[in-house]
Amino acid sequence: MTPLDLFTIATGSSEPIYRQLVEQVRRFIAGGQLRAGDEVPSVRELAQSLAVNPMTVSKAFGLLEAEGLLERRRGLAMVVAQQHRRAQPAADRIGLLRPTLERAAIEAQQLELSPAQALALFKTILHEPKDDTP
Amino acid sequence: MSALMNTHTGMTLHAPQPGPAASVTARGLHVGYGKQTVLDGLDWSLRPGQVVGLLGRNGSGKTTLLESLLGLRDTAAGTVHLFDQPVATLDDALRARIGYVPQQSDLFDWLTPAQMLGYFKSFYSRWNDAKVDGLLSKWGIDRDKLIAKLSGGQQQRLAIVRALAHEPDLLVLDEPVASLDPAGRRDFLRELVDQVLNRGTTVVFSTHILSDLERVAFNVAFLDGGRITVQAPLDELLETTRRVSGTVAEVQALVLANRMTVIGRIALDAGRQQVLARLTAGGAEPPRTAAVLVEPVTLEDLFMGLTR
Repeated sequence: MTPLDLFTIATGSSEPIYRQLVEQVRRFIAGGQLRAGDEVPSVRELAQSLAVNPMTVSKAFGLLEAEGLLERRRGLAMVVAQQHRRAQPAADRIGLLRPTLERAAIEAQQLELSPAQALALFKTILHEPKDDTP
Repeated sequence: MSALMNTHTGMTLHAPQPGPAASVTARGLHVGYGKQTVLDGLDWSLRPGQVVGLLGRNGSGKTTLLESLLGLRDTAAGTVHLFDQPVATLDDALRARIGYVPQQSDLFDWLTPAQMLGYFKSFYSRWNDAKVDGLLSKWGIDRDKLIAKLSGGQQQRLAIVRALAHEPDLLVLDEPVASLDPAGRRDFLRELVDQVLNRGTTVVFSTHILSDLERVAFNVAFLDGGRITVQAPLDELLETTRRVSGTVAEVQALVLANRMTVIGRIALDAGRQQVLARLTAGGAEPPRTAAVLVEPVTLEDLFMGLTR
């Protein structure tokens, strides 16, 4: 099965789309949604599914390959590399969250929210039921 | 040469097209109406296979520019080459490799879609009937209803079908989605992605819908003051541009100290200003200071800062 539906992108972000895709694959591998040997969608499939420029998708996959997270197989879909058999330890996973939280921290400061207020909001959001509507 | 190459892997996404590659080159374009200058010595080039989003405020001359590129407008000075040939003397074989969706519908509204498409088909040696039928069905366009009686959105979709039917290698789209709802816009973007995947089509399109542009335009170009002021891959622009706000003196000092290049400026009240500035190549993030705010930018920020 190709986990096409796993991928989403947000427009209007300061984070380029290729970067969003890279971060998503990192998170899926770290969190165990993608495991070693799992196929990822082809550039073509993902570009069509997300309606984004194929160059953007291939840029993301190229970077992931360079990082050793994905492996290319001749004539076949790319797969998650072997060394990522297990979900990464929590310390690594939390590092992946840091850039997003850093941005949120800047905005909280700009809004002159206290750390306690910002943390309370984050806690609330973490406990909110997951919204399944697109 | 027109093949879209994955720079990381050398993978070719589609077969290269025969014949000269679909490049666009404009040099020193001047176009005016009466005393008003619209294009003021504009230089612009698109490489084969690029998908470029053209951004500019209303009245900045986007339509004039796109029409000038296609040779549909008299220019006071300057040259345009398409496929490495002067546009004025472009031969028919190359002309047939261009697809164009104008902003104003010119769709022969006394005909039905079937009649209009049949008429256009007669001009082209290449015509993809399967694609035309597929799109008409998928987009629910009634083949036998007078075009005049179709909705604005349906007319726009029909214009897109017409522009894609002969499988162009150069596609020029002037606000192609203005009358489409979000579902229609997504359908259109998918067609555009297919076109790029399957043919490596060079695409230039203008739109005010930034989210669409972000998805498919790998490169963006800003039209301001009659010239293309900034053209770059959008990824790069987002990653290297920062919005710097503070007092005029403080902003200037930070920009200088970090050797940033100012590309846009927004005056604020009370001696304060905001600039869009690009980091130097491989540029480190400027250190945070209490006085000056340095923030990442979105495409909307770029639009606001780079166009007037």
